[in-house]
Amino acid sequence: MKRAVSFLWAVAFVLGGVGPGVAETTLEKIARTGTLTIGTRTGSPPFAYVNKQNAWVGFSIDLVEQAIVPAISRKLGKPIKVEKKESTPQTRIPLLTSNAVDLIAETMTDTRPRRESVDFSLTFFVTGAQFLVKKASPIKGIGSIAGKRVAAQQGSTNARIIRERVPNARLQEFPDQPAAFQALVQGQADAYTNDGIQLAGLKAKAPKPDDWKIVGDFYSYEPYGMAMRRNDSDFRHMVNTGLMEAIESGKYFELYDKWFGPKGEVPYPLTAENKRFLQMQVAPK
Amino acid sequence: MDFGVVVRNINFLIIQGLLGFGNFVGGTLRLAIPAIVLGFILGIFVGLGRLARSSRIRVPATVYVEFFRGVPLVMVIFWFWFIIPVLLRVPIPEYGVALTAFVVFEAAYLGEIVRAGIQSVPRGQVEAATATGLTSAQVMGFVILPQALRNMIPALVTQFIVLFKDTSLASIIGYVDLTKAAQIVNNREIRPFELYLFIAVVYWLCTYGMSHYARYLERRLAPA
Amino acid sequence: MNYQFDWSVLWTGQSGQWLLQGIITTLEISALSWALAAALGVLSGALRTVPLWPLRALATFYVEFFRNVPLLVWMFFWYFGVPPLLPGPLREWLFNHAAEFWAGMFALGVYHGARFSEVIRSGIQSIPKSQFEAAASTGLTTTQAYRLVIIPIALRLIIPPMTNESLNLLKNSSVALTISVAELTFQTRQIETYTAKAFEALTAGTAIYLALCLGIASVMSWVEQRVAIPGMIARVSPAEH
Repeated sequence: MKRAVSFLWAVAFVLGGVGPGVAETTLEKIARTGTLTIGTRTGSPPFAYVNKQNAWVGFSIDLVEQAIVPAISRKLGKPIKVEKKESTPQTRIPLLTSNAVDLIAETMTDTRPRRESVDFSLTFFVTGAQFLVKKASPIKGIGSIAGKRVAAQQGSTNARIIRERVPNARLQEFPDQPAAFQALVQGQADAYTNDGIQLAGLKAKAPKPDDWKIVGDFYSYEPYGMAMRRNDSDFRHMVNTGLMEAIESGKYFELYDKWFGPKGEVPYPLTAENKRFLQMQVAPK
Repeated sequence: MDFGVVVRNINFLIIQGLLGFGNFVGGTLRLAIPAIVLGFILGIFVGLGRLARSSRIRVPATVYVEFFRGVPLVMVIFWFWFIIPVLLRVPIPEYGVALTAFVVFEAAYLGEIVRAGIQSVPRGQVEAATATGLTSAQVMGFVILPQALRNMIPALVTQFIVLFKDTSLASIIGYVDLTKAAQIVNNREIRPFELYLFIAVVYWLCTYGMSHYARYLERRLAPA
Repeated sequence: MNYQFDWSVLWTGQSGQWLLQGIITTLEISALSWALAAALGVLSGALRTVPLWPLRALATFYVEFFRNVPLLVWMFFWYFGVPPLLPGPLREWLFNHAAEFWAGMFALGVYHGARFSEVIRSGIQSIPKSQFEAAASTGLTTTQAYRLVIIPIALRLIIPPMTNESLNLLKNSSVALTISVAELTFQTRQIETYTAKAFEALTAGTAIYLALCLGIASVMSWVEQRVAIPGMIARVSPAEH
């Protein structure tokens, strides 16, 4: 009831043309509320998903909770909680711009057009796009999808690239990964395209992993970054500091091993090249 | 067909999805019950507003009702989800967005039911009450509304049941109600037939319970 | 943050096209599911008055179960749950011809069929028995009584609640966006995703729904007045959504 009343007052205020004058920065907001709100996925293993115990976990979530939040807590001098909200390719930017979330920590590719609407952190994962198909499928990669039904997530880089490069492929766009995967399972699509690591996660967590195979060379370069509102340098610096410290101290590789190591949820060895790339992102002290 | 998936996840579906206790922000009942109560209260004001003598109150009330009856609830939810936080420059949690959207939307329909209920009270009652010296506010409060409410019960409960079903739309903005809980499990297990059939039955049980209670209320409150 | 208004996004680029496609899809899915709902409503309404007990029970089960479950759940059920159970060739055809549209159409049609059934049933039940008796006493056969007296009255009686339910169907078509049907509300989200102009997109969508609903309501109101039988008391029922 109290919230309803203050909501009504707020509406009256704004409609009366009197609004809060100075916009506060994200760090100020986090300091005030003691909470970092992130947008993350519920169906993209192992980056962010709901596991068999119905707990919301993942590599991206761990990076936030164990690398970024400690850095922010230290800077602000108080413990910071993490609140998670679901985001999808379609809703993540509106969620950021409407202040519903402060950070998008999922599987978002850092691209130049996107940098016009949001700012990205350092790259925290490197992968490329491939295809997931049924074991017996003749599809071998981007060269063999002409005329086939390809499922993709609405608003993803993969959908855009397929549309541009293979216009005669029958692209079907779905609101999120689980819906697209179900289309593949039920035979509505011949292939599902997404970043290789996500396909590996999906395959590993599928009811029958051996029914699926991942095909094709990477047909795109997909560096994952965490997205935040533009022109918020202090916050961006904190997020990057958290990531850099984690890479430096080895925490990042510990988390990587937990999710992608040989005993992890989705084994995916870190190439020497990618490891070097991550380490070179750490600016000298 | 493997209903085991329902059994394995029944805790999550019922306790998180239906009741709202768990790691996620959600709960069908946690949303439906306040929405029904607040929606009804606002609906009474809207209904009274539609019958006001002064056109300064009547006209906005009529515009309100005609507007919200002419747009889909999904649209209203999106309005509150996208625009209000931008206008107020403050983020609003999904629960607040969903609750506000439902209350504001359903009040338009509940207002019409209230209006019809009030109009169904015989004019003689108003005249008799005024003749005994009551002010018009007292007439409304002590004579008209109690009788109107009794007449309205069937239509009101029907609308409450509709509101209860509508809470499923909160899943669109990520609120983990019963429908969203089923989606989360389905995304992992891919057993849509079993899961959605199960929650259909759960919804049906709830609404059946509600209409059963309504019939009981009607019998209890029938004029002797 | 600042919000820059830019109404031109509604007609420049692809947005105008998307809106138009959205309107067409909304009307298409609403019209087709209305036909299905009307057929199911009349059929189940009729079955509920038949002396055969199993048929009556079946019709009652259909109405009570489908009406009391949220439409969103039905959307997911018909789109995700039903196709795997269909025979192979039908499933193939479906997947090649916009499965989501047909799933949405069936979900809408079957759900509203249950609601239409209630409207039709209470409409017929509200015809006073005296009408049946009077018709019989003037020498009309049962068929003639139905054709010349009962059905015309019933049709006129149910115009207001049927208009209301039909508009509900039109508005409920927006729920199909959850299974990727590219109807009007979906398209407003699409415009908003690509141009970030949420306010303009939502306003356009809202205005179109309002125009459609108010337009249809006034046309039906005019129809009701044109066909009114003098002396027939109109049914005033509170609007249900």
